Amino acid sequence: MAILEIKNVSKFFGGLAANSDVSFDVHEGTIMGLIGPNGAGKTTLFNCITGYYPPSKGEVIFNGRKLNGLDPDKVCMLGMVRTWQKVRPLAKLSVVDNVMVGALARTGSLKLAREMAMEQIKVVRMEHRTNFLAGGLPIGERKKLEVARALATQPKILLLDEVMGGLNPAESEEIIQLILDIKQRGLTQMVIEHDMKAIMRISDRIVVLTSGEKLTEGSPQEVVSNPDVISAYLGEPHA
Amino acid sequence: MNKTILKSAFGILLLTGLLIIPRFVESPYALHMMILLFLSVAQGQSWNILGGYAGQHSVGHAAYFGVGAYTTMMLMHSKNIVPWVGVWAGIAAVIVVALIIGSICFRLRGPYFVLASIAVAEIMRLSAINLTTLTNGAEGILATELPAFKLGATVVTDFVTKVPFYYIGLFLVLLTIGVTYWVQHSKLGYFFQAIREDQDAAHSLGINIALYKNIALVISAVLTSLAGSFYGIYVGFVDPPTVLGLDVSVQIMLICIIGGMGTLWGPVLGSLILVPLSEALRSNMVTDLLVKIGIVNADSKVGIFLKENLSHAHVLLYGILVVLVILFMPDGLMGFVKKLALRRKREAV
Repeated sequence: MAILEIKNVSKFFGGLAANSDVSFDVHEGTIMGLIGPNGAGKTTLFNCITGYYPPSKGEVIFNGRKLNGLDPDKVCMLGMVRTWQKVRPLAKLSVVDNVMVGALARTGSLKLAREMAMEQIKVVRMEHRTNFLAGGLPIGERKKLEVARALATQPKILLLDEVMGGLNPAESEEIIQLILDIKQRGLTQMVIEHDMKAIMRISDRIVVLTSGEKLTEGSPQEVVSNPDVISAYLGEPHA
Repeated sequence: MNKTILKSAFGILLLTGLLIIPRFVESPYALHMMILLFLSVAQGQSWNILGGYAGQHSVGHAAYFGVGAYTTMMLMHSKNIVPWVGVWAGIAAVIVVALIIGSICFRLRGPYFVLASIAVAEIMRLSAINLTTLTNGAEGILATELPAFKLGATVVTDFVTKVPFYYIGLFLVLLTIGVTYWVQHSKLGYFFQAIREDQDAAHSLGINIALYKNIALVISAVLTSLAGSFYGIYVGFVDPPTVLGLDVSVQIMLICIIGGMGTLWGPVLGSLILVPLSEALRSNMVTDLLVKIGIVNADSKVGIFLKENLSHAHVLLYGILVVLVILFMPDGLMGFVKKLALRRKREAV
């Protein structure tokens, strides 16, 4: 069943079409990969879906409900949460307090929120950092903190914007395991990623964006063997 | 565990001390200083909720201070409404003002919000000057005759000495510290701080930004208005520059910047520094001291110069103090103290 339907979404900034006429469905319990060259409109699409920008045209339907124009906080309360490519830790708060902010979306009790937060901190294996200030964490742990904080809002779908960007291979591997763990728990995910090996491993389906338009969609194998995708990334071959 | 017992014992001791001071201290000047200190702490704590916790650096808190002070004084002066009733009218007025300001200014972020907050306070000041039928204009409102406070038939106090004001001031301090403590230890505190640290991230985590900013503003404005009403009835006189001037807003903010924004004890520390400092300079205490210990001759050129000019120097000194604090302890005194404590802990390990 499609939990998230993107229908003919376009987003214009003045005369520039950052997204034009993008459509696809994300099915429950699966991981949808979203790839494309720099400037293809991946993050803009995330912003349109999660309420940071209203789409100029088209519809975003989540769990049968139209989201267009709904604020990010309402979108979060409905069960859709995103992380940020450029991480946004609440720098002067400790790790556990960061995650508690997420948990407080679902409960008014600090005690309960703390328990929920600790649970998610365990999921991302950061127990040893519980009382560290978020601002002082290295990039790998900031990325994991983003995920923990998002998970604490108890979403139905998680949108990850380049969680592996800037990480070393060992850290990336850890994140891949984390994403697969989260999938095991039945959570739907949509992942923007540049690391092709990683995206091939984790995605059930992949959508390719280029210049704001959907180029193709399919299983990882279908996508990498598509000549259009190769030329979008590497350019036209010279005869 | 031991530490909490020690802390609460210290707290109780301090509170008892503050409660019995008026029994032993008769000097009206000393009590006046304490009242000024209380007023400053209450102002600082009020600002801290919006500026320190929610990170919305308002430089227009004089608006709330002045509206509280003016409402109470106007009602007492023209309608003979007793201040402890007028205070509630002040609160109601301030809530209305705060919600109007909030719905407009919170569309702006950072420096733009600061500018808007200044503009709003200036609008209030100019209104107070020009709405002469209501506010008596630039002349201000003088109402020194406070009716006695009665419970049933018994007169609780007739406000002849400074003692009742001392207790009201102390009550305000406890109230504002209590509210701040409650905010800090509730969902509100987490949401406010999340908004301060990163508004977009907070928004994505399900926090209704506009709603929680307005909640922070209303709590902050109501407490500031209480301080304003208290100031009005204590001094017995309000006019536009003293309760609605830009320097009132700046002073309120400085208490927190120097003491430490977003901390429970920051405003207390800030007041403990600023109030005695400005008083010492204003009252020529420093010059007198220099003369007394013989460094400066009172009749010499230097002595006369100091006597004439040092009393205006507190503004200059504030400026220097702010520069020093921002350069060397950007998190205020409280942040500095915390850093020292952390360092000691680390060295102990």
